[in-house]
Amino acid sequence: MATNMSDAKRRMAGPELRQKRTPMLSDSWLCAIFIAPSVLMLALMVFYPFVMLIRYSGLTFSMLRPDVAPVHVGLGNYIDLLTDTGVWHRFAFTGKFVLATLSIQFTVGIAAAYAFQRDFKGRDVLFTLALMPMMFCPIVVGFLWQYMFNSEWGLVNWLVSLLGVAKIDWLGQSENALWAVAVADAWTWTPFVILLATAGFRGIPKDIRESAQVDGASPAFTFFHVTLPMSLPIIVIALLLRVIDAFKQFDLFVAMTGGGPGSETETAAYSLSKMAFGYFHTGQASAFAIILLVVIFGLSMVFVRYLTSLSNRI
Amino acid sequence: MRLLSFASMRILTAVAGAIGFSAVMASTAMAENLTFVWHAGTCSDLFYQISKDYPDKNIKIVPDVVPYGPLWHDKIAAQFAIHGAGFDFAMWDSQSTAEFAGGGHAYSINKVFKESKYLKANLFSPLSLKLYGEYPDNSGKYWGLPVNQDAYGLMYRKDLFNDPKEKAAFKAKYGRDLVVPQTYQDAKQVAEFFTRPDKGLYGWGQMGGRPYDFATSASNPFLWSYGGELWNPKTHEVKGYLNSPASIQGVQAYVDMFKYGPPGSQSWDWDAVNSAFQQGHLAMAMQWYYFAGSNSDPKVNPYAANTGFGVTPGAIGLDGKFRREMMIGGQGIGINVYSKKIPEVIKYLEWFYHPAQQKRWAAVCQTGLLSVLESPEWQKLNSYNKSFTHAMTHMHHDYWHLPEYPQLLDILQDAVTSASSGKMTVKAALDMAAERQERVLEKAGYKITRTHNIPAVPNEIVNPVGSDHIIKESYD
Amino acid sequence: MRRSPLLVPALIVGAYLAFSDGPVIWMILSSIKSRTDLFTLPPKVLFHPVWTGYQAVFGVGAASNSVVAVGLYASLVTSILTSVFGTLIAVALGTFAGYATSRFRFPGHGDFMFFVLSTRMIPPVAVLVFYLVMYSRLGLVDTKVGLILVDAFINLGLATWIMKGFFDGVPSEVENIALVNGYSRFYAFTRLVLPMVRGGIAATAGFCFIFAWNEFSFASILATTSAKPLPVKISVAMGATGMEWTQIFAAGVVLVVPVAIFFYLIRRYLLIGMTFGVLGKGSE
Repeated sequence: MATNMSDAKRRMAGPELRQKRTPMLSDSWLCAIFIAPSVLMLALMVFYPFVMLIRYSGLTFSMLRPDVAPVHVGLGNYIDLLTDTGVWHRFAFTGKFVLATLSIQFTVGIAAAYAFQRDFKGRDVLFTLALMPMMFCPIVVGFLWQYMFNSEWGLVNWLVSLLGVAKIDWLGQSENALWAVAVADAWTWTPFVILLATAGFRGIPKDIRESAQVDGASPAFTFFHVTLPMSLPIIVIALLLRVIDAFKQFDLFVAMTGGGPGSETETAAYSLSKMAFGYFHTGQASAFAIILLVVIFGLSMVFVRYLTSLSNRI
Repeated sequence: MRLLSFASMRILTAVAGAIGFSAVMASTAMAENLTFVWHAGTCSDLFYQISKDYPDKNIKIVPDVVPYGPLWHDKIAAQFAIHGAGFDFAMWDSQSTAEFAGGGHAYSINKVFKESKYLKANLFSPLSLKLYGEYPDNSGKYWGLPVNQDAYGLMYRKDLFNDPKEKAAFKAKYGRDLVVPQTYQDAKQVAEFFTRPDKGLYGWGQMGGRPYDFATSASNPFLWSYGGELWNPKTHEVKGYLNSPASIQGVQAYVDMFKYGPPGSQSWDWDAVNSAFQQGHLAMAMQWYYFAGSNSDPKVNPYAANTGFGVTPGAIGLDGKFRREMMIGGQGIGINVYSKKIPEVIKYLEWFYHPAQQKRWAAVCQTGLLSVLESPEWQKLNSYNKSFTHAMTHMHHDYWHLPEYPQLLDILQDAVTSASSGKMTVKAALDMAAERQERVLEKAGYKITRTHNIPAVPNEIVNPVGSDHIIKESYD
Repeated sequence: MRRSPLLVPALIVGAYLAFSDGPVIWMILSSIKSRTDLFTLPPKVLFHPVWTGYQAVFGVGAASNSVVAVGLYASLVTSILTSVFGTLIAVALGTFAGYATSRFRFPGHGDFMFFVLSTRMIPPVAVLVFYLVMYSRLGLVDTKVGLILVDAFINLGLATWIMKGFFDGVPSEVENIALVNGYSRFYAFTRLVLPMVRGGIAATAGFCFIFAWNEFSFASILATTSAKPLPVKISVAMGATGMEWTQIFAAGVVLVVPVAIFFYLIRRYLLIGMTFGVLGKGSE
């Protein structure tokens, strides 16, 4: 079933449709109605917690210790956090992790989407199978990869030993652990990239591709110079969403390394969860959350700027 | 056949309806749910099973059980933080008592002792009450009742220790008899003897994982047995205690023992220790008594018939004194002060702590009820109960009983795992931890008064437990 | 010389499926392995299966006295209700908002998009306690409605951005032709544009369902006994007697089944793709 312009034209041209002219709603009314429910939901769900977050970030207070009166420290929490080298280590590690997992997700994801571009026998089922990893519960994924990366009886080290390499301590050394967890995260979310990238690639009109081939372009050339550039917007959106999620990752680290050894594999989000729930330092955790939010926000702006420039180009 | 006239039929249905309706209304009006939070396990399963036999049928005990891990603490903490009644009572780790009681979220057990006709302090072993419910230390104020007592003990392969060939080889090599070690110094030798990687056998297994309290639960018994201290509870000092020569010696001994465990065991939790032992890879292992039951089950542990349980070794410190200090575990039951059903909870606990229920309980989990603990039948119930009573005599030390416990624990876990992974020396790690912990205490408002001339073995001035000669414990 | 045009794609698909589904098969196998078999090398592929993992998950057999058995069916119902309705709301709201942002550059549309995205940026832990306070004041703690709201909310940003992306791919000529012919914008939206973004709706619904179904952080704190979703309930099976790997993997397998079914049902729509419909014929 083609979904395209000519189809649309056909629908409108058909005689049976002529009777169905609907009453007009002005564009601005429609816009308001379309946006309203989302705004309402956001107002309900975001307003109170966000206000609380800001309020507590200026206090030294633990909700678990109401016996200790809150102390107004203004920007004190922020200063404490930003001058703590430990916090910078966490952010540096988080950044490294995001880069590592995103690089895997994207190279593998785009490659796989390239392969799923065209129709072939059984593509439906194979595509669903390819999407499976992201359907699993994240905690289970953490345990699965902890099991597979175990240095003694893990599948990965067994495969590695088949290649004649000595057993690697994947989870006990932070340099290896970074990649081990990145692989686990990429394994889970590459399907996300594949799904959106495939959607983009399959949308390229056939005649554009065909005309490129007629001009003598190889499939690779067509892919890199036609398909990929045209699908860039949706891919950038996928990238943006993945970066945001990768910054929040800590469940995998909880299951696989516990943040250790020492605190070397503790991401910013992991620190945040310890502060918020482990120590229950509500004030400090709120400030940290806002710092993290600003970082992710800043990064997202880069992507969004790029996206807008892309759409202006087209 | 119309036995009843139409009118009487209607009257009858109306009456029946009224009776039924009021019965439903009565039962739903009267039925109360008492919710409890605990982590999943054989004990919570058993608790729920026992609760089904509660004679008052208007009360229903509803479990809100979480996986063992951070969520256990977080869930309880979250309810307390909002003064919520999401649960009526909960079992929390003994280490969390200070945090929850300190915030005023737990209902005073002293009040329970006063109000209840049956629940009194003398029902429980004083040590249990102290360990699982008292805050602050030595205040006589209780906030929890012991529900599951635990200790970090030793398990070992009896067949390896009793094997004549092994005994002969050991005697030839080390010049003394092969026995389950009484000191950590001895343990090193025995572990070395049994470490045969090519045969898949290692001498010693212990926890080393970063999450929660895994590493430090294993390193603390070493630290305390060598005469070290985590801090000085009276002066709030950490420097000079945590990084004293005795503490460093103890933690070093702990780190050294990883040589005799499988590679990668530095990140082990209690499950990994169990797995390795159950596959026959370990000659000795430190493990919670909680798992003694499943490790005695041949279905779980193929070596169950040859598995012995006992107390962990002691050590001779730099001052020449012998100490055997064990790590405490376990939980207490606390009542949520914001619950609207506290009288019902107390009534339920009165029933639960009756010897009849506690005998059922003790079959699987460690009871705190004195009458059951001291009964000969409990002692003979299995191979480890007797050993557990012994273990309780070696518990003079615990983590910090402060609301700041989570942070102090995290810092120590960081330090110990850094040391065992080789990233830092033990001294550097403990120095760093002491510095950071004192900062936490200062920020929390504790005044630190400095002691002059802290001895190399700080236990000498903090609740001394050393003896001049080795006190041997028996291992079957 | 022309290599078969299908060779490279076939190799890629094969390699990728090995990477993505190899561990899945390993998980399924491990869910029925005994403890000894789990830890032997070389890894066993043929072995005697053990069902204690699944028994623990369903609270039957050896685990019939376990606490997991209590309220398991209720949890399943809760999960289905909250995931389905949460997804429905998120997809609907996201589709409308995405269209509005794509077509009507209303004042503040950039800020709106950013704001809706920022709801995804905060790790739930930072705000969980505040949500608990808010929910307890609104009486939403431990209710299905409360969780539906959460499931819709966490997905709103994702839904809006993806749908906007898809709508951006539909040229405005489509509606213009309709408007010129006297049809309303709304008509053009429902009859012309929406069918063209079916792929986007399917993808969004798929993602939303995954996130809603597997949602753990909020559910574990906001639900206590009557509205516990399945992942929170079943996670209890992990760590009953020590960390039982078979139980964990069995739980993972059981939890993935509804999601896999959902994806299988919408598989055709997932492959429809976007439409960069320039004038002329569309994609295949």
